Amino acid sequence: MTSRGTPSRFLRSVLQNGVGRYVCQLKRISIVFSKKAQSSLGARDFIEEGVVDYANKNPGTVVYVSPQPCRVPKIVAEYLNGNVREETITSKTSQQISELLTKLTNQSGLEIIRIRKPFHTDSPSIQGLWHPFTNRPPSIGPLRPQKPDSQ
Amino acid sequence: MSASMAYAGLWRTCRMLLPRHHVLSPAAIRTQSSASGDLMPWTSLSRPPWPEQPSPYSAEEEQSRHAAVVSTVNQRINLRDFGRLFAVVHFAGRQWKVTGEDLILIENHIEAECGERIRMEKVLLVGAEDFTLIGRPLLGKELVRIEATVIEKTESWPKVHMRFWKRHRFQRKRIIIQPQTVLRINGIELAPRLT
Repeated sequence: MTSRGTPSRFLRSVLQNGVGRYVCQLKRISIVFSKKAQSSLGARDFIEEGVVDYANKNPGTVVYVSPQPCRVPKIVAEYLNGNVREETITSKTSQQISELLTKLTNQSGLEIIRIRKPFHTDSPSIQGLWHPFTNRPPSIGPLRPQKPDSQ
Repeated sequence: MSASMAYAGLWRTCRMLLPRHHVLSPAAIRTQSSASGDLMPWTSLSRPPWPEQPSPYSAEEEQSRHAAVVSTVNQRINLRDFGRLFAVVHFAGRQWKVTGEDLILIENHIEAECGERIRMEKVLLVGAEDFTLIGRPLLGKELVRIEATVIEKTESWPKVHMRFWKRHRFQRKRIIIQPQTVLRINGIELAPRLT
């Protein structure tokens, strides 16, 4: 749909990530696959070869591997802000699954919708906001209280 | 139409009346290759449209004023007497006005992993509350240091690119997903050495 018909949000990070230390936003990954089906072939290959390396490279993420009788193998990713993302990996190769996993690791859990502005500041003005009287000399002299006429 | 032509004639006559050799713009000083003796070709943008006013101060007074300003700014920088700094940085084909702790979204892939620190080198302007340092066009790398951290490398939302011609039975639809990088500006540092 158009950007007007779809939800949008402003650019932000989860809990000011990056100001101090960078924290990987991926909390938990569950790989749901089947032991016998043809569509989970790539998933099984990935679990044979790449899952242990991935888990060692990302110590902050918990990896769950659950073989179940299922038709559609999927990866369920949970993020620190509570969002859950499911990606199906039917008929994907092991290489594609590892690329997908790196992509999910590099994301934060915020929704993938239109971002309104490509920047965000908490202190937008340092030298003061402009108003029509900035940098203009006063046209009338300094105002003094008028002396009453009786005195 | 006729009014604009009359005004164009007016500007041209004013230009002919004014003495040309007094106008010494820095651009004129740089290019001195013309055979006829004119430093730069005269265009409508060679001088501003307002009348040129001679400055009320003499050359020595102006120099002393400039020196005073420079020494004040140098003192402020040496004593680190400034608060929050902002900078204009040229990055990813765009110029951003940037402070510490703010976020920037780049619409392409950057060769740095999540969590790595990046130094932004093309700084055009640095300002504090009381002074600004303007580069011509860039400031030196030993003067300013701007560091950023890569926070997130995602993809954009699926944008629809559709072309449609009415009454021609032509329509094409394409979904565009671009890689995005989010940077967090960690801070701007100003070095206590200004030439």
